[in-house]
Amino acid sequence: MRDLGTNKENTWCSGCGNFGILNAVKKAMSSLHEAGLPLADIAITCGIGCHGKIFDYLALSGVYGLHGRGTATASGIKLANPNLQVISFGGDGDSLGEGLEHTLFAAKRNMDITLILHNNGTYGLTTGQFSPLSEHGYKGLSTPAGNIERPFRAIPLLLEAGATFAARGYSANPDHLADLIVQGVNHKGFSFIEVMQPCVSYNNNYTELNHKIKLLEAIPSSNSQAVELATNRDYIYLGVFSKMLLPVYHEDLYQDANPVRDRLSKLQRTHIIEI
Amino acid sequence: MSCIYSVLIGGKAGEGIKKSAQVIASALMQQGWFVFQQDDYQSLIKGGHNFSTVSFSTEPIHNAYVNADLLISFDQRSVETHWLDTLKTPQQSLHCYNSDISAEFPDAGTARLLGFPFLTVAKQLECKPSNISVAAIALFFVWMGWDETLLEQTVRKAFKRDLDENSRFAKAIWEHGKAADIRADICLPDALHSMPRRLLSGNQAIALGAWTAGLDFYYAYPMTPASSILHYLALKQTTHKVYAIHAESELAAANMAIGSVFAGAKTAIGSSGGGFALMQEAFSLAGMVEAPLLCILSSRPGPATGVSTYTAQEDLNFALAQGHGEFGRVVAAPDSITNAFSLSAELLCLAWEFQSPVILLCDKHLSESSTCVAKFPEVPFADDYTAIAPKEDVSASYRRYSQQESGVSPLVFPGLENVTDDVVNKWNSHEHIPSGLRTDKADAIIAMKDKRSRKMDSLYEATKRYKRIAVYGDGGPLVFAYGSAVMELQEAKKHCKTDFRIISLIYLLPFPTAELCQFNACEAIVVEHNTTGSFAKLLSCELGVVIKKSILRYDGRPWDPKELASLLEVSFNA
Repeated sequence: MRDLGTNKENTWCSGCGNFGILNAVKKAMSSLHEAGLPLADIAITCGIGCHGKIFDYLALSGVYGLHGRGTATASGIKLANPNLQVISFGGDGDSLGEGLEHTLFAAKRNMDITLILHNNGTYGLTTGQFSPLSEHGYKGLSTPAGNIERPFRAIPLLLEAGATFAARGYSANPDHLADLIVQGVNHKGFSFIEVMQPCVSYNNNYTELNHKIKLLEAIPSSNSQAVELATNRDYIYLGVFSKMLLPVYHEDLYQDANPVRDRLSKLQRTHIIEI
Repeated sequence: MSCIYSVLIGGKAGEGIKKSAQVIASALMQQGWFVFQQDDYQSLIKGGHNFSTVSFSTEPIHNAYVNADLLISFDQRSVETHWLDTLKTPQQSLHCYNSDISAEFPDAGTARLLGFPFLTVAKQLECKPSNISVAAIALFFVWMGWDETLLEQTVRKAFKRDLDENSRFAKAIWEHGKAADIRADICLPDALHSMPRRLLSGNQAIALGAWTAGLDFYYAYPMTPASSILHYLALKQTTHKVYAIHAESELAAANMAIGSVFAGAKTAIGSSGGGFALMQEAFSLAGMVEAPLLCILSSRPGPATGVSTYTAQEDLNFALAQGHGEFGRVVAAPDSITNAFSLSAELLCLAWEFQSPVILLCDKHLSESSTCVAKFPEVPFADDYTAIAPKEDVSASYRRYSQQESGVSPLVFPGLENVTDDVVNKWNSHEHIPSGLRTDKADAIIAMKDKRSRKMDSLYEATKRYKRIAVYGDGGPLVFAYGSAVMELQEAKKHCKTDFRIISLIYLLPFPTAELCQFNACEAIVVEHNTTGSFAKLLSCELGVVIKKSILRYDGRPWDPKELASLLEVSFNA
């Protein structure tokens, strides 16, 4: 298999959690490829922020889109060619702030794509303002007296919206994360993977994360148990929280058709319109 | 001059006013008449005041008339609102009203006034028609002298439900009309009888034109007057293999559209001003990633929510300057419903040939009015113009933004047959190098900006192959307009003593200087629907025409052709 990296100079901070995510993605793509997925059938999208730079470091096709709109772009790709495996990268500010609507609606539709949420609990690239997932009291340039909002809880939010696969990984555990990504991509439906990721410059929670991380023993048996485990204050559980099979949007729309492969010709269109 | 007749049906929202007008327009067309249907409605579902006008003639007709020869009113408000319109009609006009509701009338003038107990008839028959305005169809048929067999066929074909009840009700009203002897003296010259035509709204023409040129996807969030494009294409999914997606917002629609384009689907988006404003960032993204995207902007009076269901031409500058940052685009406005079909196709092709966003600018009057289209014009097909990378090139050496003299880089689509695992096809919203990777480097920025500029030069040159302006008339003073104002002018022309030339600008950006330079320094009258005369300003700026008079209308209503004709006459003689 060809190298999945590019020659683009990496500009993440030394020690950034994104390195672990990049490694996990490369590992996951390699094993998907070994299992028979052509690299030509993978498309990636992202929004804007530190997470988005992963687009430049991966030699994969896709769209480096607008802030918050990566899942919308990914949905459009999947609808046009359902044969593609579409993976969208988002930041916590990107996917749950500016682009919250697209994230929730992609889950609501059970759009058959994978969203990898880089959760560093801050706005890294814009110098550390609070994000939708920042803890209450978080101090940043826009909240010098501390964040007075309470954070979203990503996994319960996405489960409620309709995600049929929800998991959590950790950037410092790339092997485990790579396995989650493989499962997410192989899952038919909307897959949501929250990745706990320290921001060494603005939210360096390595010690806390290392201390609190705990692997789930099994997929929780009920939605309420999944929510309880996902919101536990003592431990940050990693693993698959929910996995179920429900109809996917593109198949409800056009069954097994493929819009870009089954396009009507000029002649067919001219014929139909004359009737 | 040919005879032009109009029927106006008024009532409350929910009474099927527009539907009955459509049925009448369709029936007229099948009998060989040229028709134009215009609907005036409010932003509500039940109640209020709606009216539809169908004007028809033995010659092509470009706009409806305010003054009705036959007025059918279902409520007191319609009586009061339209009574004067019928009085202005030179012919003896007829007013049929709902005698179960209306009893008071202003001065009857010379028009005939006949009450019909629509509700009582339905009650006596113990029948519930689909809606009360089925009565309008029946009365219109008597007025035209058409028989009850044709009426039954028409009504059965027009409504999906309540077939028998509609028929019984229509027949009973038809008999009332017959007994009242309301037949008018209208007959159609035989030569016109067998012309095949179809009734099409502007939005249907736009949708079908783009589809014939290769459209696969349409993304939108409902907003009048663009919504019926979404509705129409959604209905056509099975037969036309086109997918109309109602997204969660205009932002979603526009970004999903760019995703679909990346995957190789011919895609369009559409909205009115407010929704289009929400699409601006993605419009700019299309400029940067070089996404071929057809954008339909159907205007209504603004600013903000404005007047939801009425017409305006306030968004010319908005369209010309859509998006942030510098990048090219085409802006063009159809000047008739038939032209909307071909222009929509042309624009989709230009978008794909030059990988650029393009805007089709129209308004409520063109979008939602209907007329008969005889035969669809031949249009180009977008695939025939798309620069696809040749097969042998589609390998590791593929560069999405490779430098070409024309500025147009070949496209590949992920996962399609000719693309191997070595191809990396990156579209980037940041400034980028040919591979699609992001860059901040000064020389790389210049190189890519120059590439896009060269591409736009090529695109602007290519628009010359299409009809960028239209001139209607042979001589006399010049009247400039674009979009639906040209339809109004074409109809007004029939009533002007002074012969004049309509100069219709179909392409607004690039400005069609080559075709228009013959009018440089000429005196011109400009007709447009806004307060600021934005189109006149564009003309003075680009062409140096001397604006003798700007005729502006900004009450949300289209012109009545005769009213416009008399204003023009005053301007010509000033």
